[in-house]
Amino acid sequence: MNVTCENVRTLLSSYLDGELSEEQAKPARAHLMDCRNCREAVQEGKVIRRWLRDAELPVEVPMGFAARVARRAFAGDPGLLVPQPGVRGEKSLLPFVLKLAAVAAVVLFLFSLLIQKESLPSGEEIQATDQSWMFEEHGPNAEPLASEEDAEEAENAAADQAPEEPER
Amino acid sequence: MQPAATEDTTLVDETLGGNQLSFQLLVERYQDRIFGLVRHYTRSMVEVEDIVQDTFIKAYRKLETFQRQSSFSTWLYRIAVNTSLDFLKRAGRNPVRAIEDPEVVGTPTQAGAPRSIAAPDANLEREEIARITHEVLEEIPENFRTVLVLREFEGMAYQEMADLLGISIGTIESRLFRARARFKDALVRMHPEYAVGS
Repeated sequence: MNVTCENVRTLLSSYLDGELSEEQAKPARAHLMDCRNCREAVQEGKVIRRWLRDAELPVEVPMGFAARVARRAFAGDPGLLVPQPGVRGEKSLLPFVLKLAAVAAVVLFLFSLLIQKESLPSGEEIQATDQSWMFEEHGPNAEPLASEEDAEEAENAAADQAPEEPER
Repeated sequence: MQPAATEDTTLVDETLGGNQLSFQLLVERYQDRIFGLVRHYTRSMVEVEDIVQDTFIKAYRKLETFQRQSSFSTWLYRIAVNTSLDFLKRAGRNPVRAIEDPEVVGTPTQAGAPRSIAAPDANLEREEIARITHEVLEEIPENFRTVLVLREFEGMAYQEMADLLGISIGTIESRLFRARARFKDALVRMHPEYAVGS
């Protein structure tokens, strides 16, 4: 089988990780014997693995972690629903507060309309041409009182019609 | 002679039967591995503990759905990876997923890019290597980081990783290939003192 550099590079991770079958690994090894570039690529892969493997530090599990988790699980704890409460709180509370504020604004607006309607006389109760108040003091059969203008006009008319006093 | 460790499936059955101690034993059995896995997704130990705790509580709540087609550890790892990624999303640190172009497989190092990287300096403290490596890992898209972590830190076989992530072995192979290339590029970019050649 003719193995190319591209074939080997495709299999590089599997080769490094020992995941190739002997049937696959044999031609790859033969190619590496002849190809310096591919050998260097394998070396580089090994260096990368060293970086990653040397970075592993011992794990520190807090004391009593397992007992605490088991107790919480059996107590029906729904989980932390990470991340931290602060971040989660901001996210879940803000839309609720905004909705609440919007509802409160609508209720206040409707309430103010209601108050306005209750405190002002309606159009049916009072009219610009309504003269009923004029009868209140003089009884229903009384003539409506003239306005000041009417009275003045009537006075002037009477003065015009009156005979002038003869000169002595 | 020590008694044989109780099988995971037996502990699962006992937990489902209401035995709190059996679940505690399951947590004790896997807590180191899950802490080890989750710490590659966040540097904060407080966050790591929260995520691990959430992983086990989710596992308990979903225990009835455990089909036993895969091992309990694979099932638990899947929950841990998903919980970690969910955490990153909720925390506003959206994990970046790289688009995987099959054409990229087998592409030699780009022209002009450093040919190789140096191994970690023997004089470097282990903590320093860990700091640099984790810094570089954070730069790698989530799908690449996950396969690197599962393979290099957890020592998982390709088949186990394929089962856990629900992808084919071929995808694992190509993803690991690209993940290592990304790791090298990011290391050289962030710490050029480790670049070799030109």
